[in-house]
Amino acid sequence: MSETPSPGSAPSPYSPRHRVDVLIAEDSRIQAKMLEKRLVDAGHTVRWAINGLKAVELLKEKRPDLIISDIEMPEMNGYEFCKIAKTDPSWQTIPLILLSSLSDPVDIIRGLEAGADNYVTKPYDPNYLLGRMDSLLDTPLEAESPSPGSEMEVTISGQKFKVQAGRQQVLNLLVSIFENAVTKNKELIVTNQSLSVAKDSLQKAYLELTAFNEQIERSNKRMTRDLHAAAKVQQSLLPAKAIDVPSATVAWKYVPCNELAGDFLNVFPLDDEHLGMFIVDVSGHGVPSSLLAVTVGAFLTNRISDSSLLVRPGKDGGPPVVVSPAEVVTQLNNLFQADNQVGLYFTILYGVLHVPTGMLRFTSGGHPPLLHVPKEGPLKLFEVESFPVGFVPDVEFTEETLQLQPGDRVYLYSDGVPEAMDEKLDQMGNERMTALVESLRREPVETNVTKLLESVQAWCQPKGPLDDVSILGVEWKG
Amino acid sequence: MSDAFRRIDVSKQEKAEIAKFKDKKILDETALDELRVELLRLINDRQGLNLLLDFSNVEFMSSAVLGLLGQIHRKMGTLKGKLKMCSIHPQIYEVFKLTNLNKLFSIHKDQAESLGKF
Repeated sequence: MSETPSPGSAPSPYSPRHRVDVLIAEDSRIQAKMLEKRLVDAGHTVRWAINGLKAVELLKEKRPDLIISDIEMPEMNGYEFCKIAKTDPSWQTIPLILLSSLSDPVDIIRGLEAGADNYVTKPYDPNYLLGRMDSLLDTPLEAESPSPGSEMEVTISGQKFKVQAGRQQVLNLLVSIFENAVTKNKELIVTNQSLSVAKDSLQKAYLELTAFNEQIERSNKRMTRDLHAAAKVQQSLLPAKAIDVPSATVAWKYVPCNELAGDFLNVFPLDDEHLGMFIVDVSGHGVPSSLLAVTVGAFLTNRISDSSLLVRPGKDGGPPVVVSPAEVVTQLNNLFQADNQVGLYFTILYGVLHVPTGMLRFTSGGHPPLLHVPKEGPLKLFEVESFPVGFVPDVEFTEETLQLQPGDRVYLYSDGVPEAMDEKLDQMGNERMTALVESLRREPVETNVTKLLESVQAWCQPKGPLDDVSILGVEWKG
Repeated sequence: MSDAFRRIDVSKQEKAEIAKFKDKKILDETALDELRVELLRLINDRQGLNLLLDFSNVEFMSSAVLGLLGQIHRKMGTLKGKLKMCSIHPQIYEVFKLTNLNKLFSIHKDQAESLGKF
Protein backbone atom coordinates (compact mmCIF):
# COMPACT_ATOMS: atom_id res chain seq x y z
CA MET A 1 0.00 0.00 0.00
CA SER A 2 1.69 3.13 -1.13
CA GLU A 3 0.94 6.58 -2.42
CA THR A 4 3.74 6.12 -4.88
CA PRO A 5 2.42 4.52 -8.02
CA SER A 6 5.00 1.93 -8.97
CA PRO A 7 4.15 0.37 -12.35
CA GLY A 8 6.49 -2.55 -11.69
CA SER A 9 4.82 -3.78 -8.56
CA ALA A 10 1.25 -2.49 -9.00
CA PRO A 11 -1.46 -4.89 -10.14
CA SER A 12 -2.91 -4.22 -13.61
CA PRO A 13 -3.90 -0.52 -13.78
CA TYR A 14 -7.56 0.28 -13.22
CA SER A 15 -9.35 1.20 -16.40
CA PRO A 16 -11.99 3.82 -15.56
CA ARG A 17 -15.49 3.88 -17.04
CA HIS A 18 -15.62 7.70 -16.97
CA ARG A 19 -13.09 10.17 -18.32
CA VAL A 20 -13.69 13.55 -16.75
CA ASP A 21 -12.21 16.88 -15.72
CA VAL A 22 -10.79 16.65 -12.17
CA LEU A 23 -9.81 19.46 -9.79
CA ILE A 24 -7.17 18.59 -7.21
CA ALA A 25 -6.60 20.68 -4.06
CA GLU A 26 -3.34 19.52 -2.51
CA ASP A 27 -0.58 21.55 -0.81
CA SER A 28 2.13 18.94 -1.33
CA ARG A 29 3.60 19.49 -4.78
CA ILE A 30 5.00 15.94 -4.94
CA GLN A 31 1.76 14.24 -3.89
CA ALA A 32 -0.22 16.42 -6.30
CA LYS A 33 2.12 15.52 -9.17
CA MET A 34 1.90 11.79 -8.41
CA LEU A 35 -1.89 11.93 -8.23
CA GLU A 36 -2.08 14.03 -11.40
CA LYS A 37 0.04 11.48 -13.27
CA ARG A 38 -2.20 8.60 -12.21
CA LEU A 39 -5.33 10.50 -13.24
CA VAL A 40 -3.91 11.64 -16.57
CA ASP A 41 -2.69 8.07 -17.27
CA ALA A 42 -6.27 6.92 -16.60
CA GLY A 43 -7.60 9.35 -19.22
CA HIS A 44 -8.79 12.23 -17.03
CA THR A 45 -7.89 15.87 -17.41
CA VAL A 46 -6.51 17.52 -14.31
CA ARG A 47 -6.19 20.96 -12.80
CA TRP A 48 -4.31 21.51 -9.56
CA ALA A 49 -4.69 24.09 -6.79
CA ILE A 50 -2.15 24.46 -3.98
CA ASN A 51 -4.81 25.30 -1.34
CA GLY A 52 -8.57 25.82 -0.86
CA LEU A 53 -8.49 29.47 -1.93
CA LYS A 54 -6.81 28.67 -5.24
CA ALA A 55 -9.21 25.77 -5.71
CA VAL A 56 -12.19 28.15 -5.40
CA GLU A 57 -10.61 30.36 -8.08
CA LEU A 58 -10.25 27.35 -10.39
CA LEU A 59 -13.88 26.39 -9.64
CA LYS A 60 -14.96 29.82 -10.77
CA GLU A 61 -12.92 29.57 -13.95
CA LYS A 62 -14.48 26.31 -15.04
CA ARG A 63 -16.77 23.78 -13.42
CA PRO A 64 -14.97 20.40 -12.99
CA ASP A 65 -16.71 17.03 -13.04
CA LEU A 66 -15.11 15.89 -9.77
CA ILE A 67 -13.08 17.36 -6.92
CA ILE A 68 -10.37 15.63 -4.87
CA SER A 69 -9.22 17.65 -1.87
CA ASP A 70 -6.62 17.18 0.82
CA ILE A 71 -7.62 18.39 4.29
CA GLU A 72 -4.53 19.95 5.86
CA MET A 73 -3.69 22.95 3.64
CA PRO A 74 -2.56 26.51 4.39
CA GLU A 75 -4.81 29.57 3.83
CA MET A 76 -8.00 27.49 3.39
CA ASN A 77 -8.22 23.87 4.52
CA GLY A 78 -10.14 21.04 2.87
CA TYR A 79 -13.24 21.33 5.11
CA GLU A 80 -13.60 25.07 4.47
CA PHE A 81 -13.11 24.58 0.76
CA CYS A 82 -15.61 21.69 0.76
CA LYS A 83 -18.20 23.81 2.59
CA ILE A 84 -17.89 26.59 -0.02
CA ALA A 85 -18.18 24.14 -2.91
CA LYS A 86 -21.14 22.33 -1.38
CA THR A 87 -23.19 25.42 -0.45
CA ASP A 88 -22.93 27.05 -3.86
CA PRO A 89 -25.88 25.81 -5.98
CA SER A 90 -23.80 25.74 -9.18
CA TRP A 91 -21.15 23.49 -7.61
CA GLN A 92 -22.98 21.41 -4.99
CA THR A 93 -23.67 18.53 -7.37
CA ILE A 94 -19.98 18.08 -8.15
CA PRO A 95 -18.86 14.92 -6.31
CA LEU A 96 -16.14 15.76 -3.78
CA ILE A 97 -13.67 13.29 -2.29
CA LEU A 98 -11.76 14.24 0.86
CA LEU A 99 -8.34 12.68 1.36
CA SER A 100 -8.09 12.12 5.08
CA SER A 101 -6.09 10.10 7.52
CA LEU A 102 -9.38 9.48 9.41
CA SER A 103 -7.41 9.27 12.62
CA ASP A 104 -10.18 10.84 14.72
CA PRO A 105 -13.88 9.73 14.72
CA VAL A 106 -14.80 13.43 14.75
CA ASP A 107 -13.37 13.67 11.21
CA ILE A 108 -16.58 12.02 10.03
CA ILE A 109 -18.67 14.80 11.55
CA ARG A 110 -16.41 17.45 10.08
CA GLY A 111 -16.77 15.81 6.68
CA LEU A 112 -20.58 15.61 7.06
CA GLU A 113 -20.78 19.25 8.15
CA ALA A 114 -18.65 20.31 5.21
CA GLY A 115 -20.85 18.29 2.86
CA ALA A 116 -18.21 15.89 1.56
CA ASP A 117 -19.48 12.95 -0.46
CA ASN A 118 -16.60 10.60 0.04
CA TYR A 119 -13.62 9.84 2.17
CA VAL A 120 -10.50 8.10 0.94
CA THR A 121 -7.96 7.41 3.64
CA LYS A 122 -4.31 8.16 3.21
CA PRO A 123 -2.16 6.40 2.22
CA TYR A 124 -4.33 5.20 -0.63
CA ASP A 125 -4.01 2.76 -3.48
CA PRO A 126 -4.40 4.80 -6.72
CA ASN A 127 -6.53 2.04 -8.25
CA TYR A 128 -8.85 2.19 -5.27
CA LEU A 129 -9.24 5.96 -5.70
CA LEU A 130 -10.01 5.56 -9.42
CA GLY A 131 -12.68 2.97 -8.53
CA ARG A 132 -14.26 5.31 -6.02
CA MET A 133 -14.34 8.12 -8.57
CA ASP A 134 -16.18 5.83 -10.99
CA SER A 135 -18.83 4.80 -8.50
CA LEU A 136 -19.44 8.44 -7.56
CA LEU A 137 -19.74 9.41 -11.24
CA ASP A 138 -22.14 6.48 -11.84
CA THR A 139 -24.83 8.13 -9.72
CA PRO A 140 -25.05 11.86 -10.42
CA LEU A 141 -25.80 13.92 -7.35
CA GLU A 142 -29.15 15.71 -7.12
CA ALA A 143 -29.23 19.25 -5.89
CA GLU A 144 -30.78 19.32 -2.46
CA SER A 145 -30.88 22.00 0.14
CA PRO A 146 -31.30 20.65 3.62
CA SER A 147 -34.63 21.74 5.10
CA PRO A 148 -34.64 23.28 8.60
CA GLY A 149 -35.98 20.00 10.02
CA SER A 150 -33.22 17.82 8.57
CA GLU A 151 -30.80 18.67 11.37
CA MET A 152 -29.52 15.48 13.03
CA GLU A 153 -27.99 14.99 16.45
CA VAL A 154 -25.03 12.60 16.56
CA THR A 155 -22.93 11.50 19.57
CA ILE A 156 -19.34 10.54 18.88
CA SER A 157 -16.66 9.95 21.49
CA GLY A 158 -19.04 11.24 24.19
CA GLN A 159 -19.54 14.53 22.32
CA LYS A 160 -22.88 15.63 20.83
CA PHE A 161 -22.89 17.17 17.36
CA LYS A 162 -25.70 18.76 15.38
CA VAL A 163 -25.29 18.14 11.69
CA GLN A 164 -27.27 19.32 8.68
CA ALA A 165 -26.85 16.98 5.74
CA GLY A 166 -28.80 15.62 2.83
CA ARG A 167 -29.76 11.92 2.78
CA GLN A 168 -27.79 11.13 -0.34
CA GLN A 169 -24.66 12.79 1.08
CA VAL A 170 -24.98 10.88 4.34
CA LEU A 171 -25.45 7.62 2.45
CA ASN A 172 -22.54 8.23 0.10
CA LEU A 173 -20.27 9.21 2.92
CA LEU A 174 -21.33 6.24 5.04
CA VAL A 175 -20.78 3.85 2.15
CA SER A 176 -17.36 5.34 1.46
CA ILE A 177 -16.33 5.03 5.06
CA PHE A 178 -17.59 1.46 5.21
CA GLU A 179 -15.75 0.57 1.99
CA ASN A 180 -12.67 2.16 3.44
CA ALA A 181 -13.04 0.08 6.56
CA VAL A 182 -13.46 -3.10 4.48
CA THR A 183 -10.35 -2.29 2.42
CA LYS A 184 -8.34 -1.52 5.52
CA ASN A 185 -9.63 -4.70 7.13
CA LYS A 186 -8.46 -6.78 4.14
CA GLU A 187 -5.06 -5.16 4.40
CA LEU A 188 -4.99 -5.90 8.11
CA ILE A 189 -5.79 -9.58 7.45
CA VAL A 190 -2.93 -9.83 4.93
CA THR A 191 -0.59 -8.02 7.33
CA ASN A 192 -1.72 -10.30 10.11
CA GLN A 193 -0.98 -13.37 8.02
CA SER A 194 2.52 -12.09 7.20
CA LEU A 195 3.03 -11.29 10.87
CA SER A 196 1.97 -14.77 11.81
CA VAL A 197 4.44 -16.28 9.33
CA ALA A 198 7.16 -13.94 10.61
CA LYS A 199 6.31 -14.91 14.17
CA ASP A 200 6.68 -18.59 13.32
CA SER A 201 10.11 -18.08 11.75
CA LEU A 202 11.13 -15.89 14.65
CA GLN A 203 10.09 -18.58 17.07
CA LYS A 204 12.03 -21.17 15.11
CA ALA A 205 15.11 -18.92 15.01
CA TYR A 206 14.72 -18.29 18.72
CA LEU A 207 14.67 -22.02 19.47
CA GLU A 208 17.74 -22.58 17.29
CA LEU A 209 19.50 -19.69 18.98
CA THR A 210 18.64 -21.03 22.41
CA ALA A 211 20.01 -24.45 21.51
CA PHE A 212 23.13 -22.83 20.07
CA ASN A 213 23.57 -20.69 23.18
CA GLU A 214 23.27 -23.73 25.40
CA GLN A 215 25.93 -25.44 23.33
CA ILE A 216 28.23 -22.42 23.65
CA GLU A 217 27.60 -22.30 27.36
CA ARG A 218 28.44 -25.98 27.75
CA SER A 219 31.65 -25.55 25.73
CA ASN A 220 32.48 -22.43 27.68
CA LYS A 221 31.99 -24.22 31.01
CA ARG A 222 34.16 -27.09 29.86
CA MET A 223 36.90 -24.73 28.66
CA THR A 224 36.75 -22.70 31.87
CA ARG A 225 37.03 -25.92 33.88
CA ASP A 226 40.01 -27.00 31.78
CA LEU A 227 41.61 -23.58 32.10
CA HIS A 228 41.25 -23.61 35.88
CA ALA A 229 42.69 -27.12 36.04
CA ALA A 230 45.60 -26.08 33.80
CA ALA A 231 46.17 -22.96 35.91
CA LYS A 232 46.31 -25.15 39.04
CA VAL A 233 48.89 -27.39 37.39
CA GLN A 234 50.92 -24.33 36.45
CA GLN A 235 50.71 -22.90 39.98
CA SER A 236 51.71 -26.25 41.48
CA LEU A 237 54.99 -26.08 39.57
CA LEU A 238 55.94 -22.80 41.24
CA PRO A 239 58.50 -22.85 44.04
CA ALA A 240 57.40 -23.72 47.56
CA LYS A 241 56.36 -20.71 49.62
CA ALA A 242 59.13 -21.18 52.15
CA ILE A 243 62.40 -22.00 50.42
CA ASP A 244 64.89 -23.24 52.95
CA VAL A 245 68.31 -22.13 51.75
CA PRO A 246 71.11 -21.49 54.20
CA SER A 247 72.76 -18.09 53.76
CA ALA A 248 70.04 -16.77 51.45
CA THR A 249 66.57 -15.25 51.74
CA VAL A 250 64.21 -15.75 48.83
CA ALA A 251 60.87 -14.08 48.05
CA TRP A 252 58.73 -14.12 44.91
CA LYS A 253 55.43 -13.00 43.43
CA TYR A 254 53.73 -14.37 40.36
CA VAL A 255 50.44 -12.94 39.08
CA PRO A 256 49.11 -14.07 35.69
CA CYS A 257 46.96 -11.48 33.86
CA ASN A 258 44.64 -14.28 32.69
CA GLU A 259 44.00 -17.76 34.05
CA LEU A 260 47.15 -19.07 32.40
CA ALA A 261 50.44 -17.25 32.30
CA GLY A 262 53.18 -17.00 29.72
CA ASP A 263 55.50 -16.22 32.63
CA PHE A 264 57.12 -18.82 34.81
CA LEU A 265 59.66 -18.60 37.59
CA ASN A 266 61.49 -20.93 39.92
CA VAL A 267 64.26 -20.96 42.49
CA PHE A 268 65.83 -24.10 43.97
CA PRO A 269 69.06 -25.60 45.29
CA LEU A 270 70.98 -27.32 42.48
CA ASP A 271 73.34 -29.11 44.86
CA ASP A 272 74.77 -28.43 48.31
CA GLU A 273 76.46 -25.22 47.19
CA HIS A 274 74.44 -23.74 44.33
CA LEU A 275 71.11 -21.96 44.16
CA GLY A 276 69.47 -21.83 40.73
CA MET A 277 66.92 -19.14 39.82
CA PHE A 278 65.10 -18.10 36.67
CA ILE A 279 62.24 -16.14 35.20
CA VAL A 280 60.89 -17.13 31.79
CA ASP A 281 58.53 -14.90 29.77
CA VAL A 282 56.96 -16.47 26.68
CA SER A 283 55.67 -14.07 24.00
CA GLY A 284 51.90 -13.75 23.78
CA HIS A 285 49.28 -14.89 26.25
CA GLY A 286 46.84 -17.72 26.69
CA VAL A 287 47.09 -21.46 26.29
CA PRO A 288 49.92 -21.78 23.71
CA SER A 289 52.19 -19.37 25.62
CA SER A 290 51.49 -20.97 29.00
CA LEU A 291 52.05 -24.47 27.61
CA LEU A 292 55.46 -23.40 26.38
CA ALA A 293 56.20 -21.65 29.70
CA VAL A 294 55.35 -24.82 31.63
CA THR A 295 57.34 -26.99 29.22
CA VAL A 296 60.40 -24.76 29.56
CA GLY A 297 59.89 -24.80 33.33
CA ALA A 298 59.78 -28.60 33.28
CA PHE A 299 63.18 -28.69 31.53
CA LEU A 300 64.66 -26.41 34.15
CA THR A 301 64.51 -28.64 37.24
CA ASN A 302 67.13 -29.56 39.79
CA ARG A 303 66.67 -33.29 39.25
CA ILE A 304 70.07 -34.76 38.61
CA SER A 305 70.14 -36.73 35.37
CA ASP A 306 72.19 -37.09 32.20
CA SER A 307 69.43 -35.33 30.28
CA SER A 308 69.05 -32.50 32.82
CA LEU A 309 69.85 -29.08 31.51
CA LEU A 310 70.86 -27.71 34.91
CA VAL A 311 72.69 -30.33 36.90
CA ARG A 312 74.32 -33.59 35.74
CA PRO A 313 75.69 -36.53 37.67
CA GLY A 314 79.44 -36.34 38.40
CA LYS A 315 81.88 -38.59 36.59
CA ASP A 316 82.82 -41.85 38.32
CA GLY A 317 80.43 -41.21 41.21
CA GLY A 318 81.87 -37.76 41.91
CA PRO A 319 79.75 -34.80 43.03
CA PRO A 320 77.06 -33.54 40.59
CA VAL A 321 78.09 -30.94 38.03
CA VAL A 322 76.17 -27.67 37.82
CA VAL A 323 75.84 -26.61 34.20
CA SER A 324 76.91 -23.03 33.51
CA PRO A 325 74.07 -20.53 32.84
CA ALA A 326 75.46 -19.72 29.38
CA GLU A 327 75.35 -23.37 28.39
CA VAL A 328 71.84 -23.79 29.82
CA VAL A 329 70.43 -20.92 27.75
CA THR A 330 72.36 -22.02 24.65
CA GLN A 331 70.82 -25.49 25.05
CA LEU A 332 67.35 -24.00 25.49
CA ASN A 333 67.87 -22.01 22.29
CA ASN A 334 68.69 -25.23 20.44
CA LEU A 335 65.65 -27.00 21.88
CA PHE A 336 63.03 -24.27 21.46
CA GLN A 337 63.30 -22.71 18.01
CA ALA A 338 60.29 -20.47 17.40
CA ASP A 339 59.55 -21.98 13.99
CA ASN A 340 58.74 -25.28 15.68
CA GLN A 341 56.26 -23.59 18.02
CA VAL A 342 54.01 -21.25 15.95
CA GLY A 343 56.45 -18.34 16.21
CA LEU A 344 56.47 -18.33 20.01
CA TYR A 345 59.77 -17.36 21.60
CA PHE A 346 60.73 -16.48 25.14
CA THR A 347 63.07 -14.38 27.16
CA ILE A 348 64.85 -15.80 30.18
CA LEU A 349 67.11 -14.67 32.95
CA TYR A 350 68.87 -17.62 34.52
CA GLY A 351 71.26 -17.26 37.45
CA VAL A 352 73.31 -19.60 39.61
CA LEU A 353 74.44 -18.38 43.02
CA HIS A 354 77.45 -20.06 44.59
CA VAL A 355 76.22 -19.89 48.17
CA PRO A 356 79.55 -20.26 50.00
CA THR A 357 81.20 -17.35 48.12
CA GLY A 358 78.32 -15.15 46.96
CA MET A 359 79.44 -15.38 43.34
CA LEU A 360 76.45 -15.02 41.00
CA ARG A 361 76.74 -16.17 37.39
CA PHE A 362 73.86 -15.30 35.10
CA THR A 363 72.81 -15.29 31.47
CA SER A 364 70.04 -13.43 29.76
CA GLY A 365 68.13 -14.42 26.66
CA GLY A 366 66.70 -11.05 25.62
CA HIS A 367 65.35 -10.53 29.14
CA PRO A 368 65.05 -7.22 31.07
CA PRO A 369 68.18 -6.45 33.14
CA LEU A 370 68.99 -7.90 36.54
CA LEU A 371 68.61 -5.39 39.39
CA HIS A 372 71.47 -5.43 41.87
CA VAL A 373 70.82 -3.80 45.25
CA PRO A 374 74.09 -3.72 47.21
CA LYS A 375 73.90 -3.47 50.99
CA GLU A 376 75.42 0.00 50.61
CA GLY A 377 75.87 2.13 47.50
CA PRO A 378 73.91 2.77 44.34
CA LEU A 379 71.52 0.28 42.68
CA LYS A 380 72.53 -1.05 39.29
CA LEU A 381 70.77 -2.66 36.35
CA PHE A 382 72.85 -5.37 34.68
CA GLU A 383 72.01 -5.76 31.07
CA VAL A 384 73.32 -8.71 29.09
CA GLU A 385 73.17 -8.22 25.36
CA SER A 386 71.52 -11.26 23.80
CA PHE A 387 68.66 -12.37 21.59
CA PRO A 388 65.53 -13.95 22.98
CA VAL A 389 65.52 -17.74 23.08
CA GLY A 390 64.26 -19.36 19.89
CA PHE A 391 64.94 -16.38 17.66
CA VAL A 392 68.22 -17.14 16.02
CA PRO A 393 69.51 -20.71 15.67
CA ASP A 394 73.01 -21.73 16.80
CA VAL A 395 73.75 -18.67 18.91
CA GLU A 396 76.25 -18.86 21.78
CA PHE A 397 74.94 -17.08 24.85
CA THR A 398 77.41 -15.33 27.11
CA GLU A 399 77.58 -15.15 30.87
CA GLU A 400 78.09 -12.35 33.39
CA THR A 401 79.42 -12.68 36.92
CA LEU A 402 78.56 -10.54 39.91
CA GLN A 403 80.34 -10.87 43.24
CA LEU A 404 77.79 -10.27 45.98
CA GLN A 405 78.69 -8.89 49.40
CA PRO A 406 76.84 -10.04 52.51
CA GLY A 407 73.44 -8.32 52.60
CA ASP A 408 73.40 -7.71 48.82
CA ARG A 409 70.21 -8.47 46.94
CA VAL A 410 69.33 -9.22 43.34
CA TYR A 411 65.91 -8.95 41.71
CA LEU A 412 64.75 -10.81 38.62
CA TYR A 413 61.45 -9.70 37.05
CA SER A 414 59.45 -10.02 33.88
CA ASP A 415 58.78 -7.07 31.55
CA GLY A 416 55.31 -6.88 33.14
CA VAL A 417 56.98 -4.71 35.83
CA PRO A 418 58.84 -1.94 33.93
CA GLU A 419 56.41 -2.07 30.98
CA ALA A 420 53.28 -1.86 33.16
CA MET A 421 51.03 0.70 31.47
CA ASP A 422 48.69 3.22 33.03
CA GLU A 423 45.46 4.48 31.49
CA LYS A 424 47.35 6.82 29.14
CA LEU A 425 49.59 3.92 28.09
CA ASP A 426 52.57 5.45 29.91
CA GLN A 427 54.97 2.82 31.16
CA MET A 428 56.13 2.50 34.73
CA GLY A 429 59.71 2.35 33.49
CA ASN A 430 63.03 1.29 34.99
CA GLU A 431 63.51 4.56 36.87
CA ARG A 432 60.29 4.35 38.89
CA MET A 433 60.96 0.67 39.55
CA THR A 434 64.50 1.22 40.88
CA ALA A 435 63.41 4.32 42.85
CA LEU A 436 60.80 2.23 44.64
CA VAL A 437 63.27 -0.54 45.49
CA GLU A 438 65.78 2.10 46.60
CA SER A 439 63.22 3.54 49.03
CA LEU A 440 62.55 0.07 50.43
CA ARG A 441 66.14 -1.23 50.63
CA ARG A 442 66.08 -1.33 54.45
CA GLU A 443 62.87 -3.42 54.39
CA PRO A 444 62.97 -7.23 54.10
CA VAL A 445 63.16 -8.78 50.61
CA GLU A 446 59.63 -10.12 51.06
CA THR A 447 58.31 -6.58 51.66
CA ASN A 448 60.17 -5.30 48.58
CA VAL A 449 58.67 -7.94 46.33
CA THR A 450 55.15 -7.40 47.71
CA LYS A 451 55.34 -3.59 47.47
CA LEU A 452 56.76 -3.76 43.95
CA LEU A 453 53.83 -5.94 42.84
CA GLU A 454 51.35 -3.58 44.56
CA SER A 455 52.84 -0.56 42.84
CA VAL A 456 52.53 -2.29 39.44
CA GLN A 457 48.88 -3.06 40.20
CA ALA A 458 48.28 0.53 41.36
CA TRP A 459 50.00 1.89 38.23
CA CYS A 460 47.67 -0.15 36.01
CA GLN A 461 44.41 1.03 37.64
CA PRO A 462 41.57 0.77 36.90
CA LYS A 463 41.91 -2.11 34.46
CA GLY A 464 44.76 -3.99 36.13
CA PRO A 465 47.96 -5.28 34.47
CA LEU A 466 47.70 -6.41 30.84
CA ASP A 467 50.75 -8.63 31.19
CA ASP A 468 51.83 -11.32 33.63
CA VAL A 469 53.89 -10.00 36.52
CA SER A 470 56.73 -12.07 37.97
CA ILE A 471 59.21 -10.86 40.57
CA LEU A 472 61.94 -12.87 42.29
CA GLY A 473 64.20 -11.41 44.96
CA VAL A 474 67.23 -13.10 46.57
CA GLU A 475 69.37 -11.77 49.41
CA TRP A 476 72.78 -13.29 50.12
CA LYS A 477 73.52 -13.21 53.82
CA GLY A 478 77.14 -14.24 53.49
CA MET B 1 38.61 -9.76 -2.95
CA SER B 2 40.32 -12.85 -1.55
CA ASP B 3 43.61 -11.58 -2.99
CA ALA B 4 43.40 -8.33 -1.06
CA PHE B 5 45.32 -7.78 2.17
CA ARG B 6 43.43 -6.49 5.17
CA ARG B 7 46.28 -5.76 7.52
CA ILE B 8 48.99 -4.52 5.15
CA ASP B 9 49.21 -2.10 2.23
CA VAL B 10 51.47 -3.56 -0.42
CA SER B 11 53.27 -1.46 -3.00
CA LYS B 12 55.90 -2.49 -5.51
CA GLN B 13 58.97 -0.29 -5.89
CA GLU B 14 61.89 -0.78 -8.21
CA LYS B 15 64.19 -2.02 -5.46
CA ALA B 16 61.78 -3.78 -3.12
CA GLU B 17 58.22 -4.60 -2.23
CA ILE B 18 56.89 -2.52 0.64
CA ALA B 19 54.42 -3.92 3.13
CA LYS B 20 53.02 -1.17 5.34
CA PHE B 21 51.17 -2.25 8.46
CA LYS B 22 47.70 -0.69 8.49
CA ASP B 23 46.97 -1.17 12.18
CA LYS B 24 47.71 1.45 14.82
CA LYS B 25 47.78 -1.25 17.47
CA ILE B 26 48.88 -4.84 16.97
CA LEU B 27 48.02 -6.38 20.31
CA ASP B 28 45.69 -9.36 20.07
CA GLU B 29 46.40 -12.86 18.82
CA THR B 30 43.83 -12.57 16.01
CA ALA B 31 45.56 -9.57 14.48
CA LEU B 32 48.90 -11.32 14.82
CA ASP B 33 47.69 -14.53 13.17
CA GLU B 34 46.14 -12.61 10.28
CA LEU B 35 49.36 -10.64 9.80
CA ARG B 36 51.33 -13.88 9.78
CA VAL B 37 49.09 -15.38 7.11
CA GLU B 38 49.16 -12.22 4.96
CA LEU B 39 52.92 -11.70 5.14
CA LEU B 40 53.63 -15.35 4.31
CA ARG B 41 51.18 -15.11 1.41
CA LEU B 42 52.97 -11.99 0.17
CA ILE B 43 56.37 -13.67 0.38
CA ASN B 44 54.94 -16.73 -1.32
CA ASP B 45 58.29 -18.57 -1.35
CA ARG B 46 59.73 -16.10 -3.87
CA GLN B 47 63.50 -16.55 -4.09
CA GLY B 48 65.61 -13.42 -3.67
CA LEU B 49 62.68 -11.19 -2.74
CA ASN B 50 63.50 -7.75 -1.31
CA LEU B 51 60.95 -6.87 1.35
CA LEU B 52 60.59 -3.68 3.37
CA LEU B 53 58.24 -3.61 6.38
CA ASP B 54 56.97 -0.09 7.11
CA PHE B 55 55.87 0.49 10.73
CA SER B 56 54.87 4.16 10.41
CA ASN B 57 51.21 3.52 11.35
CA VAL B 58 52.01 1.33 14.33
CA GLU B 59 51.93 3.04 17.71
CA PHE B 60 51.55 0.01 19.97
CA MET B 61 52.42 -3.60 19.46
CA SER B 62 52.77 -6.61 21.72
CA SER B 63 56.14 -8.25 21.99
CA ALA B 64 54.59 -11.30 20.31
CA VAL B 65 54.93 -9.38 17.02
CA LEU B 66 58.69 -9.78 17.42
CA GLY B 67 58.15 -13.52 17.14
CA LEU B 68 56.42 -13.01 13.83
CA LEU B 69 59.23 -10.72 12.61
CA GLY B 70 61.73 -13.41 13.59
CA GLN B 71 59.77 -15.95 11.60
CA ILE B 72 59.70 -13.67 8.54
CA HIS B 73 63.41 -12.95 9.00
CA ARG B 74 64.30 -16.66 8.97
CA LYS B 75 61.97 -17.34 6.07
CA MET B 76 63.59 -14.58 4.02
CA GLY B 77 66.99 -16.02 4.96
CA THR B 78 66.12 -19.42 3.51
CA LEU B 79 64.85 -17.71 0.33
CA LYS B 80 68.09 -15.70 0.02
CA GLY B 81 65.99 -12.55 0.14
CA LYS B 82 66.60 -9.28 1.95
CA LEU B 83 64.39 -7.99 4.76
CA LYS B 84 64.46 -4.44 6.06
CA MET B 85 62.27 -2.46 8.43
CA CYS B 86 61.63 1.26 8.74
CA SER B 87 59.74 4.04 10.54
CA ILE B 88 59.58 2.30 13.90
CA HIS B 89 57.97 4.37 16.68
CA PRO B 90 60.57 5.20 19.43
CA GLN B 91 58.67 3.39 22.18
CA ILE B 92 58.42 0.27 20.04
CA TYR B 93 62.09 0.56 19.10
CA GLU B 94 62.87 0.27 22.83
CA VAL B 95 61.48 -3.28 22.74
CA PHE B 96 63.77 -4.07 19.80
CA LYS B 97 66.70 -2.68 21.79
CA LEU B 98 65.76 -4.53 24.96
CA THR B 99 65.70 -7.84 23.15
CA ASN B 100 68.76 -6.90 21.12
CA LEU B 101 66.77 -7.50 17.94
CA ASN B 102 67.79 -4.09 16.62
CA LYS B 103 71.09 -5.85 15.94
CA LEU B 104 69.50 -8.83 14.22
CA PHE B 105 67.16 -6.84 11.97
CA SER B 106 68.13 -4.22 9.43
CA ILE B 107 66.23 -1.14 10.63
CA HIS B 108 66.22 2.32 9.03
CA LYS B 109 64.70 5.72 9.64
CA ASP B 110 62.28 5.79 6.71
CA GLN B 111 61.38 4.22 3.37
CA ALA B 112 63.83 6.30 1.36
CA GLU B 113 66.77 5.35 3.58
CA SER B 114 65.79 1.67 3.57
CA LEU B 115 65.32 1.52 -0.19
CA GLY B 116 68.78 3.04 -0.64
CA LYS B 117 70.32 0.10 1.24
CA PHE B 118 68.87 -2.80 -0.77
